[in-house]
Amino acid sequence: MFSEINHFALLGTLLQQMCVYLVIAYLLSKTPLFAPLMQVTVRLPHKVVCYLVFSAFCIMGTYFGFQVEGAIANTRAIGAVLGGILGGPWVGLAVGLTGGLHRYSLGGFTAEACAVSTTAEGLIGGLLHLYLMRRQRADLLLNPALVLGTTLFAEAVQMIILLVMAKPFSQAVLLVEHIAFPMLTTNSIGAALFMRLILDRKETLEKYSIAFSAKALRIAERSVGVLMQGFNEANCTRMANIIREETGVGAVAITDCEKLLGFVGIGADHHLPGTPISSPHTFYAIQNNEVVYADGGTIPYRCSISKDCKLGSTLVIPLRGEGNRVIGTIKLYEPKRRLFSNLNRTLGEGIARLLSNQILAGKIEEQKQLLAQSEIKLLQAQINPHFLFNALNTLAAVIRRDPEEARKLVQYLSTFFRKSLKRANNEVTLKDEIEHVDAYLHIELVRFAGRLDVEMAVPDELLHLRLPAFTLQPIVENAIKYGISQLIEPGQIKIRAQRQDGVLTLMIEDNAGLYNPQPGGDGLGMNLVDRRIKIRYGTAYGVEVNCKPESWTRVYIRLPIEEEIAHAHSVDY
Amino acid sequence: MLTALIIDDEAPAREELRSLLEAFPDIEVVGECANAIEGISAIHRLRPDVVFLDIQMPRVSGLEMVGMIEASALPQIVFVTAYDEHALRAFEEHATDYLLKPIEPERLARTLDWLRSGSRQTSAALLAQGQTLRQIPCSGRNRIFLIGLDEVEYIYTDVSGVQVVGLNKQGMTELTLKVLQERTPLIRCHRQYLVNVDHIAEIHLLENGAAEIITHNGKKVPVSRRHFRHLKDSLGMP
Repeated sequence: MFSEINHFALLGTLLQQMCVYLVIAYLLSKTPLFAPLMQVTVRLPHKVVCYLVFSAFCIMGTYFGFQVEGAIANTRAIGAVLGGILGGPWVGLAVGLTGGLHRYSLGGFTAEACAVSTTAEGLIGGLLHLYLMRRQRADLLLNPALVLGTTLFAEAVQMIILLVMAKPFSQAVLLVEHIAFPMLTTNSIGAALFMRLILDRKETLEKYSIAFSAKALRIAERSVGVLMQGFNEANCTRMANIIREETGVGAVAITDCEKLLGFVGIGADHHLPGTPISSPHTFYAIQNNEVVYADGGTIPYRCSISKDCKLGSTLVIPLRGEGNRVIGTIKLYEPKRRLFSNLNRTLGEGIARLLSNQILAGKIEEQKQLLAQSEIKLLQAQINPHFLFNALNTLAAVIRRDPEEARKLVQYLSTFFRKSLKRANNEVTLKDEIEHVDAYLHIELVRFAGRLDVEMAVPDELLHLRLPAFTLQPIVENAIKYGISQLIEPGQIKIRAQRQDGVLTLMIEDNAGLYNPQPGGDGLGMNLVDRRIKIRYGTAYGVEVNCKPESWTRVYIRLPIEEEIAHAHSVDY
Repeated sequence: MLTALIIDDEAPAREELRSLLEAFPDIEVVGECANAIEGISAIHRLRPDVVFLDIQMPRVSGLEMVGMIEASALPQIVFVTAYDEHALRAFEEHATDYLLKPIEPERLARTLDWLRSGSRQTSAALLAQGQTLRQIPCSGRNRIFLIGLDEVEYIYTDVSGVQVVGLNKQGMTELTLKVLQERTPLIRCHRQYLVNVDHIAEIHLLENGAAEIITHNGKKVPVSRRHFRHLKDSLGMP
């Protein structure tokens, strides 16, 4: 009778310990350390984590236990068995051995027996793991009922080992009589609950990630190719709409580095696309290439445009282009009385990546097209038939009159064609480009005999500067083709080069003033040169045209001066 | 004997063609012009049998120029071009003769054979028909210039020639009133006057059944009784 009560008292105490033990397990489950435990591990680093965690639980189980009859009633078995089940026989063995040796170091008449039995328990878990894995039933490993049964069995084995190994035998019998029931019960239930905890955590995560991927996939699906067609107001508004519908946030904005491109949702009446960015959070995000979360609490958020704005918190995520450079932001907003859901905060960064990739893909596509186009154009330029046949006709006339001049003309023609055969992607020196233009103009001077005058002012110290091939020549050719050749009175072409503040400016002026920027008109060659420079060096550079009708047209080509590159090259040679 | 006129804006091209033509004793080059405007004047003045006409010229192309000459005054036209896919297609369609630069002497000889025999009439006049003019070449005080058609208020003839009155400039043109009436939307309102209906502000009726147009610029243009009906029709007046 006495021993019965003792049983229940011991059971109660042990269950209490187990609760503390499980609370610790629960807390641990919130840390990343727990992640490898949520699946049946095969990889070595996971196994190591598994070993460390369950060894710790094993040792903890010993400490939480208490002295009974010169021995320790404990929940050590939970760690050992679970270690084996989740980590396999080797992990199980190692956990058991670690827990066992630790127990051994504490002494007592059952020290040796406990060390052996704990090792055996780990091994039992491990063998079950091995068995189920071989039968392709890994799913059963995470089954709490099975864990309960296994631990029960393992504890039974421990009792037997105690009886066999602990001396004196009579004391061992007394001990087992006392602790067998509470320990079997507590350890089995504890192990099963522990497994349940793992399962719960796993399910929550899965549910979350299912919801997450479903949302992310839907956004991805709906937004396919939208921004690839160009990072502009129309496409950004479409995109913002999709994101708002899918995430359900209060408002969505997309900006580039200067202005708002799209805004949808609460506050759309005063957040107008096309207006410059005014929010300090956005500036910060752009400048530091960082995600900014102004929750409206610790970090205050106030709409920078209108006092009456209902928006109360914002998440600003930079959009990144080539070389991780910030090209804009996407902003999610929630109204004042609503909180950002965790899901949307995480999703936001994913969306930013998706959009960044799309913009980048669009740019690459555009560059590809441009390259193809420029190559085609180049091919045409190489054999501009009108120029070629007129030049040959001029040559025919000059041969008759002045064979020596004709010889020179042939020389210019071959220089011109040789330079035209250069690849468009190559960089050349300004000297090279001037020689190309010079050969071209010499031919035109003879052809227009007296109707053309050329003034070239390019300082020698600029001649070594590098620029893309075919930057100057097409512009000069345009000036002749659409300017001078349309003049009844004599025409004049002026070419100047100058450097200032790290910028090389080439100026080509004609006195026709007939520039007419019509699509498909004379702008094509010029646009090509412009777009190529902008893509290569950024929008601060490129081609600019000024025209006073019937008086003059001035074309400015602005290029960055890359002295270092020029020097590096000259060292190579 | 054939008289020829060369119209080309490139001096070496004219020089080359003249040299080639020198090989044919029955061809006499009576003049050279560096643009279409000079060309029209020279055609009216010199009445050549044949014109070698470059297509790509400043402001007024060779093709446009043909449209500026009355069919009855139009000489035989031989187009000359270095390269012009558009024009060549049009020539093939109308069986118009043309030469490619640099000109082959044999090909030139063949063209001259056709011209001498008259067996193959060049059909430049066909090309000219249906063309509408965009601009009117004018000259005044040692200067050649063009007046866009929408700028023209009215055109009239007097003893010195055909006068074009534009919004900002005024000049004399080599084009005849007949060509201008046929190839522009201008309306004949008087034996000596064409008017641009877009610039009409008012029409004052006179006692004898004639009328007087006041343009937006306040200029007066007479309307004869004979042409009043036609003017009313084109204005959609009852």
